[in-house]
Amino acid sequence: MRARRPASPPDPALDPKNPFALVRKNNRGAAILYALNPAARAAGLRRGQTQADALAMIPHLICRPADPEADARALTALAVWAERWSPSVSVDPAGGGLEGLFLDLTGAAHLFGGETAVAAQIRDRLVEAGARAGVAMAPSPGAAWALARWGQGGGEGCIASDETVRSLLAPLPVEALRLDDRTVMQARRFGLKRIGDLYPMPRAGLARRFRDGDGVDLVQRLDQALGFAGEALTPVRPPPKYRAWQAWMEPVGDIEGVEARLTELVADLSAPLVRDGQGAKALTLTGFRSDGGTTSLSVRMGRPGRDAGIWLRLFREAGLGRLELGFGLDALMLTADAVEAMTARQGALETEAEAKQAESLAALIDRLTARLGEDRVLMPEPVESWLPERAERWRPALGRSPTTREDGGGRRPVLLLDPPEPVEAIAELPDGAPARFTWRRLSRRVTRADGPERLSPEWWRPRPDDRQMRTRDYYRVEDDAGGRYWLFREGLYGREYSGAAEERAPSWWMHGVLS
Amino acid sequence: MTPSPLYAPGVFPERPAPLEEACAAGSGDGAALIAFALSRRLEGDARPVLMTATRAWLGEHGRPYGPGLPGVALILAPVNTAVEALWALEQALRSGAVSLALGAVNAATLTQTRRLDFAAKQGGCVGLVMPRGLDGLSAARRRWRISTLASAVDPDDARAPGPARLTAELVRGRGERPGAWMLEQDDETHRLRLADRLADSGLAAIGHAGASSGLAA
Repeated sequence: MRARRPASPPDPALDPKNPFALVRKNNRGAAILYALNPAARAAGLRRGQTQADALAMIPHLICRPADPEADARALTALAVWAERWSPSVSVDPAGGGLEGLFLDLTGAAHLFGGETAVAAQIRDRLVEAGARAGVAMAPSPGAAWALARWGQGGGEGCIASDETVRSLLAPLPVEALRLDDRTVMQARRFGLKRIGDLYPMPRAGLARRFRDGDGVDLVQRLDQALGFAGEALTPVRPPPKYRAWQAWMEPVGDIEGVEARLTELVADLSAPLVRDGQGAKALTLTGFRSDGGTTSLSVRMGRPGRDAGIWLRLFREAGLGRLELGFGLDALMLTADAVEAMTARQGALETEAEAKQAESLAALIDRLTARLGEDRVLMPEPVESWLPERAERWRPALGRSPTTREDGGGRRPVLLLDPPEPVEAIAELPDGAPARFTWRRLSRRVTRADGPERLSPEWWRPRPDDRQMRTRDYYRVEDDAGGRYWLFREGLYGREYSGAAEERAPSWWMHGVLS
Repeated sequence: MTPSPLYAPGVFPERPAPLEEACAAGSGDGAALIAFALSRRLEGDARPVLMTATRAWLGEHGRPYGPGLPGVALILAPVNTAVEALWALEQALRSGAVSLALGAVNAATLTQTRRLDFAAKQGGCVGLVMPRGLDGLSAARRRWRISTLASAVDPDDARAPGPARLTAELVRGRGERPGAWMLEQDDETHRLRLADRLADSGLAAIGHAGASSGLAA
């Protein structure tokens, strides 16, 4: 790791000349070495050794506790960053997924000036981002894994082709085949030290000679390295079908620069969609920072579209300023995350004017959503429920068309107080309409009242506090100032309240204001 | 009984201006204000209504409730700041996709309301700003103050609240004389119309007959 600005005395752990190890507890509670720097390896330490043994061998070994979860997070973030070279990047599942990345560069190397150039670029960018890595290119993931770790020159850009992969792998130790320690030990015992030693062995005999099926594993790994057996990798993010991409030499550090490039990207992305008759419903802009991080911004649309101008506008509404540019971006990628056929749109609309109106409404909702967020542009959705506060749910308006309510007959408030607010009320009869009530500290005299409208509790829906829900009697009341309110009494005298001390007396609530 | 006298009526301006302003006279007048605002749509305009308000406003007055607003296709944009609300209003008005853009915005400046006025003309929509008071400068053509009135008599049940009534007071109108009108909500269409004071027992005694469209004098 590279220290960016020495503001404090140099940490001896950061000096690559000092042996350094990360330590974690194994399942028996003993501290074991989990990761080593080259100096520690050169001193003869190895992974899995107990810390006590290691310190006995190298007393000046520097140890720090390992944080595998943070490692995994960092590696996944790095994998996303590496999508600048390939849409399909996976985290190496071997070694607990903490060790390496696989980039599928099939058919992509020429975009970066050839295989040698791209390997050098990947290595240089990683060093700039503070990550020293071995880089190798090979026809199979297994061979690339081996060459990146054990290849000539310490994995400094080793490139194998179909013709050379066999000879390049031959001198490497058998560990390079991604084998567990037990298999490696057995192979050693048979005198099989290098991968090349395995080539003349008959496969069936090789597999049989090892214990517990380890040989099958060995053969499988060998075949995977040589490309005889396939190997499925799971990319960190599914590779998008539509993707526009741009990289440049000098990092761009300002929003204007990003916007200028985005203008080109939207046009690049729109063209193939038009060609295929597709439209995008969601777009993500990913910026690749020179420090190894990524930053992204997404916009969503209610209906599929491919108008580059509208996309650009949506990204502006969503706020390009939200992108964290850091020390600058050196690549930008625009992907279509949700793609739909443009022709699949249902033509339920009757006239051209209505279609145009629906179109402009959808565009408005897209724009509002891009700026305010999906949960802040809402449309009501009717719900089958007796309870007034449940009879309507506000859902994101994105992708939905407006609906109107039929007149339900019963008069309902224009503005609903949710949750209802407690009210002090006096009724002439215990189960009658209120004669006077105090709401928000103002006492009001009721001049007219209508009710009750009795709503029974939905016994099949338990309340979160597990209290039995009680009947509500709703009243429309008018006070002497002309205000009209929707009040209810929760709980019935007699049936639900007998006057016993442990029972809650029926109480009054303000649920809404009528016009 | 009436919070403000119904005075000097000209003809009630039925036809909405591109941008109007309306405030509630008191704390209980929020629902009347919404009912009045919705009546400022052009007749027969089926485009949806956008309403934007801060969360604080929605907490104080309540949230619009679909079952109480039949026939209105509502889009609600709860916002955090007045600037967001104004931006949403302008977008909606300019797009021409809504019949009415309704915003509970306090203390909009003259420049901001001018922008809204312009956007409303461009989109062919009605914009209605609902501030707390009507003190500031505004480019709105009309500025209203809305208060509830005792409801009309329910023919079936005299003790129940009847059709809703409210006073719409035109505080300032460009090229129009200020005035106050009593409006009544039609129980079937839910639209507001001028209340027929002659049919009402409470107000029949006030003023004289003969105003052109049944206006209270």
